[in-house]
Amino acid sequence: MTLLDLQGVAKIYKIGGQEIRALDGIDLQIGEGEFVAIIGPSGSGKSTLMHLIGCLDTPDEGSIIVCGNDISSASSNGLARVRNREIGFVFQSFNLLPRFDVVDNIALPMAYAGVGARERRERAEALARKVGLEERLANRPSQLSGGQCQRVAIARALANDPKILLGDEPTGNLDSKTGDAILAMFRELHAAGKTVVIVTHDPEIAAVCDRVIEIKDGRIRRDYLSPESVR
Amino acid sequence: MSFFLAVEISLREIFAHKFRSFLSMLGIVLGVSSLVATMGLTAGIEKGTKAILQQIGGLERVQVRPKAVETEEVDFWMISPGRTLTDAKAIRESVPSVTHISPELRNWTPVTAGGEEKGYNVNGVFPDYSFINSHSLAAGRFISDLDIANANRVVVIGNQIAETLFPSASPESILGKTVLLQRIPYEVVGVFSLYEREQDKVRRERGVKSARPARAGKNRWDPFRQKNESVLTPFSTMFYDFKSGANSQHTQETVPLEQLAFRVGDLDFFRESIDQVRAVLDVTHRGVDDFDFDTREDMFSQMESSMRATRISGGLIAGISLLVGGIGITNIMLASISQRVREIGIRRAIGARASDIFVQILIESVAIALIGGALGVCAGIFLMQVLIWVAPGENMPVLTMQSVALSVAFAFLAGVFSGIYPAFKAAALDPITALRYE
Repeated sequence: MTLLDLQGVAKIYKIGGQEIRALDGIDLQIGEGEFVAIIGPSGSGKSTLMHLIGCLDTPDEGSIIVCGNDISSASSNGLARVRNREIGFVFQSFNLLPRFDVVDNIALPMAYAGVGARERRERAEALARKVGLEERLANRPSQLSGGQCQRVAIARALANDPKILLGDEPTGNLDSKTGDAILAMFRELHAAGKTVVIVTHDPEIAAVCDRVIEIKDGRIRRDYLSPESVR
Repeated sequence: MSFFLAVEISLREIFAHKFRSFLSMLGIVLGVSSLVATMGLTAGIEKGTKAILQQIGGLERVQVRPKAVETEEVDFWMISPGRTLTDAKAIRESVPSVTHISPELRNWTPVTAGGEEKGYNVNGVFPDYSFINSHSLAAGRFISDLDIANANRVVVIGNQIAETLFPSASPESILGKTVLLQRIPYEVVGVFSLYEREQDKVRRERGVKSARPARAGKNRWDPFRQKNESVLTPFSTMFYDFKSGANSQHTQETVPLEQLAFRVGDLDFFRESIDQVRAVLDVTHRGVDDFDFDTREDMFSQMESSMRATRISGGLIAGISLLVGGIGITNIMLASISQRVREIGIRRAIGARASDIFVQILIESVAIALIGGALGVCAGIFLMQVLIWVAPGENMPVLTMQSVALSVAFAFLAGVFSGIYPAFKAAALDPITALRYE
């Protein structure tokens, strides 16, 4: 089943009267259960593509369908709903709320989904255990290491049990050993049935993914199955 | 997002920056406390004035006063007997809504109980006098119908008179003693209670009474002075002893009254009752328009308007401080938002709608205003306690539930209005820009 369906997507920025086509005619399908890396140099448009896939933005041309929701015509509230239920974000800089402890950070997406307080807490604690942070429930992000922070972020991304996990350079702020651990965690989640999309500029990370999509100058240059995954 | 969670988040935010939040509350605290205090103050003044009004006979008391006749009627003027006992009897028989009526004779009479003679206004009255003028007895009884019928030489005196005639004697011990009114012996049958304003009472109880006459003297307005200096005899006795000699034609029925007051039973029919009394008096005065009515309505409406002025000026001050307080909150909220752009971006990314952000900021601002309002109410009550302690009196500020409710409502409104712009600004942030904000 196709979770992400992009048809002729373009995103155009106007800077000082000059049109810049950050994305230009992207056609892309990602099916359920895939493990995809989107790579490209900075300025290639991969961030813009991630924002569109992540429903943070809408395209200027073309159509995007995320888990059956037509994003190109969705309202701001509709986008928020898809972000909340269908997508789990994992950012390079973790993006945890500094004044919230681990449990509250994990529980936050459930609050916006209207989950009751007790269930929120129970599910958040279960997720914290799942990512190996059962000892750190009451700690704040400033009391955690980078790897632990990213694990909190992953747990938060899983809070509303979304179909798609969207990683934006998830290992960019981590040393290689912790980065590997985080990637392993993504692998595990993929094995458990999640569709994973990782946006990165690092070919080494791309190499561990099943499918690699290379973006350059707003277009898809290559779309291939990673040699490692072809066994 | 649920409302309670939004409240919880707001409170967490407020308590995370205690000093900043307190500073932003300060304007609201000042506004609300001044609102509570001024409303308490005006309510106190109102209550005090009403209490005094009640003690001097209340709104129901009406006086019939003589009026100079119109020029063209001067020729007929002589045919009117003026205010007489006949008027009183006619009103009593013809106007059922008048429950009490008190015709009075008055004579400036030297009074003594053996010591130095001193002149006082002695009034000849009927039993209704006591009720109409809200008198209460400390000892003995008031003038009775039997006293009227027999023209008994009895006298009821006010507390001040008792103190002057019989220094330091208890009211009970004065009963039965003899007082000379123009050298005619009268028996004291009743002594009134001491009427005083709340502030005088408190002063007396605190034992600083001695300081007062020296400072204020007798020129100071005391609404109860007249009541405390009453010397009252039966109407008939007064007529026979002091009034019958002046004009041999006069009888009790025709002697001109010095005062004619009555009490309307039901204030809802006040105007109608007055009209009926006017109709009766038109007959007894043979059509001569030589009387008019003094009601307390004028006094009351004057009191109302001055109260309104106080309330408006107090409200204005409070309103300005609430406005300033609201601007303060807006300011702090804007600063707080620009510090939390990143946080707003994160919340949007994980599924918060723009309206969730709007509500969160608005609730935060309202929470600040309401906490400020609560502190303001406390400060206002404290202020009122200070005022009560410094200047006790009839006009002591009273705390009313309305004033508290109104102040809190105003604080709430200030919070809403000051939160709208920052909330709008926060909600309008682009999620992507907000996420990248450093």
